[in-house]
Amino acid sequence: MLDLPARVHAALVTDRREPAPGVFVIGFDAPELVRDTRPGQYLMAIPPSGERCATALGVYEAEGKRASILFFVTGKRTRELSELHPGDRLDLVGPLGNGFDLRDDPRDVAIVAGGVGVASVLLPAQRLARSGARVRFYYGARTARLLVDADRFADAGCELLLSTDDGTAGHYGFITDLLARTARQLPDAILACGPTPMLRAVGRVAGELGVRAQLSLEETFACGVGGCWGCVVPVARSSAQAPAFPQLDGESDAVNARICKEGPVFWADELRW
Amino acid sequence: MVEASAPDLSVRLGSLSLPYPTLMGSGCYGTGEEFAPFVDLRNVGAVVLKSVTRKPRMGNPTPRLVHTPAGLLNAIGLQNPGIDWYLEREVAKFAARPCTVIGSVAGFSVDDYAYVCERLAARDEIAAVEINISCPNVASEGETFACSPNLTAQVVAAARATTAKPLIVKLSPNVTDIAAIAREAEAAGADALAVINTVRGMAIDVDRWQPRLGNVTGGLSGPAIRPIAVLAVYEVARAVRIPIVGQGGIETLGDALEFFLAGASAISIGTANFTDPRTPERILEGLREYLADRNLRSLSEIVGKANLGFASAHQYEGDEG
Repeated sequence: MLDLPARVHAALVTDRREPAPGVFVIGFDAPELVRDTRPGQYLMAIPPSGERCATALGVYEAEGKRASILFFVTGKRTRELSELHPGDRLDLVGPLGNGFDLRDDPRDVAIVAGGVGVASVLLPAQRLARSGARVRFYYGARTARLLVDADRFADAGCELLLSTDDGTAGHYGFITDLLARTARQLPDAILACGPTPMLRAVGRVAGELGVRAQLSLEETFACGVGGCWGCVVPVARSSAQAPAFPQLDGESDAVNARICKEGPVFWADELRW
Repeated sequence: MVEASAPDLSVRLGSLSLPYPTLMGSGCYGTGEEFAPFVDLRNVGAVVLKSVTRKPRMGNPTPRLVHTPAGLLNAIGLQNPGIDWYLEREVAKFAARPCTVIGSVAGFSVDDYAYVCERLAARDEIAAVEINISCPNVASEGETFACSPNLTAQVVAAARATTAKPLIVKLSPNVTDIAAIAREAEAAGADALAVINTVRGMAIDVDRWQPRLGNVTGGLSGPAIRPIAVLAVYEVARAVRIPIVGQGGIETLGDALEFFLAGASAISIGTANFTDPRTPERILEGLREYLADRNLRSLSEIVGKANLGFASAHQYEGDEG
C-alpha cells in the first residue's frame, strides 16, 4: 500500500445544493485534500457539533481547490452535515482508504453505482474518460429523481445506462440486470459502489462475464483509520489486501480485512463474504 | 514545551509514571500508529493496546458496530492474532512509539490470564498490563470474571504472580456492586483500576426484525454511559486506595473533570477519538488552562474533590492519590 498523506483539514464550505429531496452535495475548499485524493478514497467528516461520530463519505468531486461530498440524510449525523452553508467550517480527516486500482490503465470500463454510491465513482469516471477510455456508466436508483447528477457523468464523456426500481427512468429493474445484459461487448474492468446487495450482484455478474471487478464496500465505521476493527470483511488470504494473521484450526482461507484501512475497494474475486 | 510554572499533569499508576493523565482506551486506538498522522503521540499519556488472548480469534461476525443516539454499540469479539504471533510479529513495533504502551490481556480461564500476562509483561516494549476481565462481547465467560468477586480475585492474583509490572484491572459496570469487585482486585494485587468497560446493550432492526449486531448483543460506549461511569468511579474511589483510570464517554474537558473530581487519577479516551482525533490534545490543553486559571500546581489537587468519601478512604496513605 502507498503511504497515505492523510491529515486533518479545516475546510471552508463554499456551496450547498440538494439535487433531490434528502440528497445533498456540500462543496468546500480543501486544496491539499484535492491534491492528495485518489479516485475512490474517502474522508471522515467531523461533526460540526462535536457530537459523535465522524461520518465516512466518498470524496465526490475534487478539482482545483474544491472538493465535495454527496450523501443521503439518513440520521442525525448526516442531517447536521446537510445544514452546512457557505462560510461554515467543516473539519475532516482524509484522504483515507486505498481507492480504485487504475494502474492497468483499462481502455473499456463499466462503472456501476447504486444510489448515493455515486459519490465514490465520479472521480474514477472522470479520470478514465479523460485518459481516453470508453466508460459505460451503469447508474441505478429507487426512482428517477434519485438518479442525481447523472449529467455530470455524461459531461465527463461517459455513456449512461440507467435503471430504476420503479421504472420511472431507464431500465425497469436492477442495474446489475442491465450490466449482465448489455456487457456483451466486454469491458476490461468493472468498478462499483453502492448497497451491499448490489455489490454482491456485481461480483456475481463480473464472475460470469470473466471480468475482474473492484467493489467499494459500504459498512458502518467507527474510527475510519484502522484502529477499532469494527468494519471488517473476510478476504482471501492470498489477497494483497489480506492483513497478516495466523491460520486458525479448521477455518477457511479467509482473514478479516478492515474496510476503512485495507479497503474500501476490494477485488470482488478476493472477497469471501 | 510548557513553561516551568505549568501545572503538573503527571500521574503514577503503581510504579508506572506517565507524563499526562490521558490514556487511549483499549480497542479504540489500534496500536497508536493508526492515529499518528492526526495526533502528536508525545501528547498522549499512554496507549492501551487491544486485548490479546492465548489463541488467535477471528472475532464476531459483522455488523460489529451500531451508532446509537448518544453512543456507539460494538461487538468486535476480541479479534486478535493470539499471544504467540503477537509477541513474534507485533510487539517489537511498539518500541518506536513516542508514548508509553500498555498491553491488554483477555482470557477464558484464570490460567489464560496468567499465561498471557506473564509472556506479555516480560517484554520491554510493554510498560504495564491491563487485565481485561470485562469484555461483554465474547460468547462465554468473557465478562463473568468481572461479575464475580471471587473470580476477579483469582484472575488478578494469578496475573500478579507472573510480573512485577503495574497491573491495571478493567472493571465491568454490568454488576450489582462494583465497589465489592474493586476491593477484591485491590486485595489481589492490582496497581490500578480501569473504571468502566462498556455497558451491555443491543439494538434491533425494525424492518428486518433482527438484532442489528452480528453478535446480537454488544457493549455501549460514548456519552450515553458517562453518568454510569462517573458514579462507578465515585463508588470505587471510596472503596479502594489504588488509583483509578476513569473512562466512559469522555469527550470534553468538562467530562474529564467530572471523572477527576469523582476520584479518578487518570482518564481514558475511547469513542471520542472516533469523533475527532484531536480530542486527547484538546482535553490536555484544557486541563492545563483549568488548573492554571485556579492557581493549582498539580492535577492531584482536584482528584476526588467532589467525593467526600474519597478523602476518608485515602487518609491513611498520606498524600498518595
